Amino acid sequence: MLKYLLKRFLVMIPTLLVISALVFIIIQLPPGDYLESHIAELESQGESIDPQKIEFLRHEYGLDKPLWEQYLVWITGFVQGDLGYSFEYNLPVAEVIGDKMWLTIIVSFFTILVTWLIAFPIGMYSATHPYSWSDYSLTLVGFLGLATPNFLLALVMLYLANRYFGTSIGGLIDPEFMDQDWSWAKLKSVLEHLWIPVLVIGTSGTAGMIRRLRANLMDELRKPYVVTGRSKGLGETRLLIKYPLRLSMNFFIADIGSLLPSIISGAEVVAVVLSLPTTGPILLAALQSQDMYLAGSFLMFLAALTVVGVLISDILLAMIDPRIRLQGGAQR
Amino acid sequence: MFQNFLPYLLLIASCAVSPAFAQLKPVPFLADQVANGSLQPMQERLPYSPAKPSFFDKEVGQYGGKIRMLMAKAKDIRLMVAFGYSRLVGYDEQLQLKADILKQVDIEEGRIFTLHLRPGLRWSDGAPFTAEDFRFYWEDMATNETLSPFGPSKDLLSQKEKPVFEVIDEYTVRYSWASPNPYFLPALAGPRPLFIYMPAHYMKQFHADYQSAEKLTLLTEEAHKRNWRGLFVSKGRQYKLTNPDLPSLQPWINTTRPPAERFIFKRNPYFHRVDPNGQQLPYIDEIEINLASTGLIPAKAGSGDVDLQARYLRLDNYTFLKEGEENGNYKVNLWETGRGAQIALYPNMNAKDPQWRQLMQDVRFRRAISMAVDRNEINQVVYFGLAKDMANTVLPSCPLFKSEYATAWSDFNVEAANQLLDEIGLTKRDARGIRLLPDGKPMEILVQTAGESTEETDVLSLVEDSWKRIGVQMYVKPTQREVLRNRVFSGEAIMSAWYGLPNGVPVASMSPWQMAPTKQDQYQWPQWGRYYETGKGKPSTMPEVQELVTLNNAWGMASSVEEQAQIWNRMLEIHADQVFSIGLVSGVLQPIVVNKNLMNIPENAFYNWDPGAYFGIHNMTGFFYKDAE
Repeated sequence: MLKYLLKRFLVMIPTLLVISALVFIIIQLPPGDYLESHIAELESQGESIDPQKIEFLRHEYGLDKPLWEQYLVWITGFVQGDLGYSFEYNLPVAEVIGDKMWLTIIVSFFTILVTWLIAFPIGMYSATHPYSWSDYSLTLVGFLGLATPNFLLALVMLYLANRYFGTSIGGLIDPEFMDQDWSWAKLKSVLEHLWIPVLVIGTSGTAGMIRRLRANLMDELRKPYVVTGRSKGLGETRLLIKYPLRLSMNFFIADIGSLLPSIISGAEVVAVVLSLPTTGPILLAALQSQDMYLAGSFLMFLAALTVVGVLISDILLAMIDPRIRLQGGAQR
Repeated sequence: MFQNFLPYLLLIASCAVSPAFAQLKPVPFLADQVANGSLQPMQERLPYSPAKPSFFDKEVGQYGGKIRMLMAKAKDIRLMVAFGYSRLVGYDEQLQLKADILKQVDIEEGRIFTLHLRPGLRWSDGAPFTAEDFRFYWEDMATNETLSPFGPSKDLLSQKEKPVFEVIDEYTVRYSWASPNPYFLPALAGPRPLFIYMPAHYMKQFHADYQSAEKLTLLTEEAHKRNWRGLFVSKGRQYKLTNPDLPSLQPWINTTRPPAERFIFKRNPYFHRVDPNGQQLPYIDEIEINLASTGLIPAKAGSGDVDLQARYLRLDNYTFLKEGEENGNYKVNLWETGRGAQIALYPNMNAKDPQWRQLMQDVRFRRAISMAVDRNEINQVVYFGLAKDMANTVLPSCPLFKSEYATAWSDFNVEAANQLLDEIGLTKRDARGIRLLPDGKPMEILVQTAGESTEETDVLSLVEDSWKRIGVQMYVKPTQREVLRNRVFSGEAIMSAWYGLPNGVPVASMSPWQMAPTKQDQYQWPQWGRYYETGKGKPSTMPEVQELVTLNNAWGMASSVEEQAQIWNRMLEIHADQVFSIGLVSGVLQPIVVNKNLMNIPENAFYNWDPGAYFGIHNMTGFFYKDAE
C-alpha cells in the first residue's frame, strides 16, 4: 500500500507539469494578449490609450518575452506558492481569489448536499421498485432537471423570487449586509438567496446520479448473495443497506475526483447568470480578457484538486471494496 | 445650446467671492467629526474663494442620502472620475471651458498658460493643494526617467516639444510652449483627464528621491511589486481609484480596497464647490457601487435596485424599464447620445486583397453601398422610429452641423446605386443576381462585427436585404473585439461594423483628430492611422485623405476659432462627399433610470463620453434627494 501511494504521488508531478503546459498553451491560443483586449475594451467605451504606454506596459508585464519564458516564470513562481499577478485587477492572483473562495465553497457544499438528498432516496426507491409507475415518474422529474437549461431555470427563478418574495436580484446577499460582520440577519439574507443557485445547479446533477445509483443497485440486487441473504431471513432494509448499496457505491466514491474541483469552481454559467460573487465568473472573465496568470493559476488549482481527488477516491475504493486491487495490470 | 468660445483670448475667471453667509448649515454627515474636533467647520475646509457652478434651471438642494449604481466590473469604478468631473478646467453644459479646481487660467498667444490655484484649497486628507503638487508631477514624475521612460504624456507636447514649466509662487504655475497648444486645456477637461498634479505630500513616500532605500524596499515588498516604480504607479492611480488612501480632489472618495463586490464612495469634506447659498457641495453623502453581471443590470434596475443608472442599459430595455417605474420608485429619462452614428460600416481602404482595396478606395463604390441602405426602415424596425436616419457625421445638436452632411449619399436610392456600380464596370452578374468582381468571383462582402449585441446583427440583416437589390451579397460575422481589431489592422477584414464618430457634438475648438487618419483604431484606414501614430508604414496617397491630414495639422496651428470652424467644415464636407464610413443609424437614445426623489437631473440632456463625461458635465455634485432622511 505504501509503495503504491508513493508511486501515485510521483506520477502526480509529471501529470501536473503536462497539465500546466497545456493550460498555458490553451490560454495563449486566442490571438492577442491581455493588453490588446484591454485596449479593445477601453476603445469600445470611447477611451483611448497612448500606444507608447502600451509598449511600456507590455515590457513591464513581461508580455514581450517569448512564450516559453513567460511559462517558466509562471510555473517557477507557482511552485514557490506565488500564483502570479492579475492584470485585470492589478493585484496578486491569490488576493483576487481569496475572498471569493468561502462563498463558492458554501454554494457548492449545499448544492452537493441537495443533490445527494434528492438523488439517493429516489435512486434507491427506483432500483427496488423498477419499472413501476412511481419509478418512471420520479426519474422523469430527475430528467426534467437535467434537460432544462440551467441558465434559463435560474432566470425564471430569479424573477419569481423577486416577484413573490421580494428577494433582490442576483448575488448571494443583500447589498446592505456586504461589509457587515456575520449576524442572523446576514445569514438569513444569504439563505434567502442561496436556495436558487443550489436548487438550479442541484437539479441538473440529480438525474445522472439517480440513473447511476439505480443501475448499479439493480445489478447488485440480482446477484446470488442477495438471494441467499433473503432466504436466510435478513430484513429487506438491512439487506439492502448492508451489502448491495455498499457495493453499488463505487461509482459514487470514484466521483470524488471530480467533486473536489467542483466545490471550488461551482457551476460557472449559473454563477454568471445569477451574478454570484463566487470564483466561476472570475475564471470566465479572466479567460475572456486573457488575464493569463489569473486564468492559468485558477485552472492549475482545479487540476491539482482533480489529481488529489482521484487519488483520494482510489484509496477509498481500495479500502471499501476488496475486489479492487492496487497493482492493476501487474497481476496478470 | 452650444456656443463657441475663444481659446486664445480665454480668460477663465472664477465667479465666486468667498461666501459672506455666516450661518452655513453644517453637513449632517460630517457633524460628529466636526463636533469632536477631528474636522474643521465648513468655512475652514473650503478654499478662500470656492467654485460656484451654475445652478441655472436647478434648485438649491439639501444634504444627505446615498446614490446606488451598478457596474459590471470592479475596474468600472474608474468612471467615478468622469461622474465626479472635478477638473482644473472643465466644460459646462454649454460646452464652454470654465475654471473648476483652478481659480483662473491666463492664456497668452495660445501657448503660455498660467494656472492660478485657489488659495486654501485642500486635498481630501486636509493637506493644502499647492504649486508643489504640480512641480512634483512635472519634475519627479512626468520627466523622471524611471517613472516615465517615454517622456511626458503626448497631451503635454506641442509639435513634439515639451513645455517650460515654472513655479511662479505657491499658488501659480506656468506652462509655456514654443508654439500654440490648443490640445492642452481640452485634455485637462476630458472625461479621463490629464492629471498634471499629484498629491506630493502623500506620493513622496513612494518615490526613490524622497524615501530612504530601506523603507522603500520594505514598502515595495509589502505591496508585492517588483520595483519602486511599480509601487509608485500602483499607489498613485488617480484615474483608476484603486488606492483608497490616495488623497483626491474629487467630490466622492473611494473607501473600499479592491477586490470587492461593492464599493462605497464617501463625500470629500474638503471639496471646493459650493451652491448659490454658499453651502459646500456635494449634497449626496455616499455613492454605492454594486457589481452585477451585465445581463442582470437591466433587471435589477427595473426592480428598483438603483438610484441612477445608464451604463449597460439600452434602448431595447426601455419598455421593460418603463413598466417597472411604479413599483421601483424611479422614472426613465431618454437622453441623447453623442456618437456620430450608433452603428456604421467601415470599408477597409487598407484591405489586403488588391481587388477589394481598389474597390474600397473608389468613391463611387462607397457612395453606392451607402445609398443602398434603407435607413428609415432600420430606424422604424429596430429603434421604434426614435433614432435618426442620417450619415455618420456630427449630430444636429452640434453647432457645426449642416443638413447636407447628414443627407449626403444617405437617401435610399437603389437605382442610383446600381447605376454607380455599373459605371465602375461591375456589370456581370451570376445566377443569383449577385454582381461579379473583375476576376469573376461573386461580390460577397463579409462584414465583421464585435458581436457584442443582437442590435448589430438585427440592423445588419436589414442592410443585407437592401444590398441584395444592388447585387451585393453581405455576410455578417461576429467575432471577439480583439480579433476584429486585429483583422481590420492586418487588412484581412474588408469591411467592419463599429460605432460612428466618437464625438458627435464637437465644437470648433475641439481637435478634429477623429476626422483624419490619426489612429490605428480608425477602421476605414487603420494603416494610414498607424502611420500617423507611430511613423511606421506608409501614408495615404489619396488626395482627399491627404487633405484631411493637412487640415488636421492646420487646425493645431489655427489662430482663431473662426479658422478652426472653417477647417472643421471643410473636413466634414470631405467626409460627407467621400463617404469614408457609412452611418446606418444615429441619435439612438439612452435610457437613464433615476430615483423619483433625486432632483436636479435634467429631463432631456445628452449622454456622452467625450465631451460630456456621462453624468459629469451635468454636475452630479448638485444632485440631491427631495426627501432625504
